[in-house]
Amino acid sequence: MKTTISLAVLSCALATNAFAQDKTLTISVYSFAQDAYKEALYDPFEEICGCDLVVETGNSVERMAKIEANANDPIIDMAVISSHDALSLARKDLVAALDVSKLSNHAKLYPAAQDPIGGNRAVGYTFYASSIVYRTDLVEINSWADLLNEKLAGNVSLPNITGTQGPLTLMMLAKAAGNDSTDYSSVISSIGEHADDIVTFYSRSSELAQLMNQEEVIAAPVGRFAWSRFKSSPLPFAWAEPAEGQAGGMNVMIMTKGNGNEELAYQFMDYWLSTEVQTRVAEALIDSPANTEVIVSDDVADNLTYGAELINSLSILDPAEIINNRETWVEQWNTEVIK
Amino acid sequence: MFFDTREGLALALPAAIFALLLFIAPVGILLSEAFQSDNGWTLQGYIDFFAKPLNRTVFLRTLKLGILVAGTAAVIGYAAAFCIVNLSASARGRVFGLVVLPLMISPVARTYAWIVILGRTGIVNDTIVGLGLSDTPIRLLFTETAVFLGLLQLFMPLMIISLVSAMENIPRDVIPAARVLGANWFQVFFKVILPLTKEGLVVGGTLVFTGALTAYITPAILGGSKVLMLETLLYQRVNVANDFVSASVIAMILIVMSFSANLLLKRIATARK
Repeated sequence: MKTTISLAVLSCALATNAFAQDKTLTISVYSFAQDAYKEALYDPFEEICGCDLVVETGNSVERMAKIEANANDPIIDMAVISSHDALSLARKDLVAALDVSKLSNHAKLYPAAQDPIGGNRAVGYTFYASSIVYRTDLVEINSWADLLNEKLAGNVSLPNITGTQGPLTLMMLAKAAGNDSTDYSSVISSIGEHADDIVTFYSRSSELAQLMNQEEVIAAPVGRFAWSRFKSSPLPFAWAEPAEGQAGGMNVMIMTKGNGNEELAYQFMDYWLSTEVQTRVAEALIDSPANTEVIVSDDVADNLTYGAELINSLSILDPAEIINNRETWVEQWNTEVIK
Repeated sequence: MFFDTREGLALALPAAIFALLLFIAPVGILLSEAFQSDNGWTLQGYIDFFAKPLNRTVFLRTLKLGILVAGTAAVIGYAAAFCIVNLSASARGRVFGLVVLPLMISPVARTYAWIVILGRTGIVNDTIVGLGLSDTPIRLLFTETAVFLGLLQLFMPLMIISLVSAMENIPRDVIPAARVLGANWFQVFFKVILPLTKEGLVVGGTLVFTGALTAYITPAILGGSKVLMLETLLYQRVNVANDFVSASVIAMILIVMSFSANLLLKRIATARK
């Protein structure tokens, strides 16, 4: 009898497991704040959908390479990446056009997030401002041009050209020099001339936070998502509001073409864009909201890129310009800056 | 003891299959990418790599730092090894333990310690400013000097261990005999100690040089993007540019450099016979 019951329980368990595995959504995300995301987004969604979420993490290049390598039989159903990386995948025909009527929260997004790369091939879920963090007791920052000023020589760090912040810094340095085009050759040459004055070209905001807290660097451009690392420091750091304004960027959601799991992917994307989840994610200081209906306290807002006035004021670099010019920028950077 | 060679081969077969399937084949496939193009086999990947000034600079910097680290480790290592083998047995064990101790600490922790030591507010700069040698802290991090110091500290124990092992095999009365016969210390080293420890020098030199060439964490943390070495460039090509052809070229260059160093050191050691 006991054996019969055990076998029945085992069969039920296996059947339940098999059913759950039938409803599985595989997502590809940035590796940061995964514990916080699990609490704010993944676990509640699994309860709602009765499905399993398989979360794949890694840097953008690794994750894009995986999507490309499995183009004929996608493993990843949906991914979150930068807008220019999304455009890069879209140009390789790896991204499905979204039926935004299936995203009930789509209309709540800021206009810039609703169709950031055209053809409804992506939808923005978070914005980030980019400006200069600096030591108020040692220096004053009024313009992006101050980064290459003599008073900061030997104490400034710039983002590497290969990261997301690199092109934004080029754009703002060009603006400071009166150049509104995307021909950044003179800016890169200027950085090359000052290369010895620049402590290092950082790749990750965590690396910069460590250098600034160790007083190796007293000013550097960085994304607002990293501000909490500086705000909690005992050193007097401030977020600059340069004359040329702040740069901005956006991360987006995409759905892989032909993944066969579209309905579940739509459900997940819509849930992530909902006011409820975007508020939870913002209050956990993970990502700034792209949903206009999100309301957070002043304390929380101070850590984020929050509010229509700020978001509409950001200088956002066209993803197509980044894709079209990146190779040229990197080539010149390697020749004149890294040497 | 085997009854015939077939038994020996049968015992070695699992390890051979393991190495073939999980090491030689994948590495071979990866490295062969650097010789392939749409039109067949080619050396174009190597020509393109060395055509870029940045790549040439990185190659020469890696070679230079590898030689400097191995050379300096050999000089310091000989002095340390000579002291260690002349200690009493108990003292030798304790000092040898201290030499080995850094190998038991994570390279990441050791490298981050250098950030604290070489930083603007670190002990080196505090001393320099305190002694009045400079009015302001000097830039030490993200320089070749920082990478050199980090690599030297990382790999010197390997040189000392190799040389201690070699020196322990020198008969104890050989050096006093050379001194009694009128040799000065310079002659004792070059005519007696060096020829008798050349195997240790070859092993230590190869380990230190190869380690310095292929280290990633230390150049990445202490050099950053301003002091690129082949290993950090390789990582950049794969993880930033998804450029596996350049990465394969760099991997092949590193392998060739490592084997060449070993062959060269063996040749030098043999020529001194």
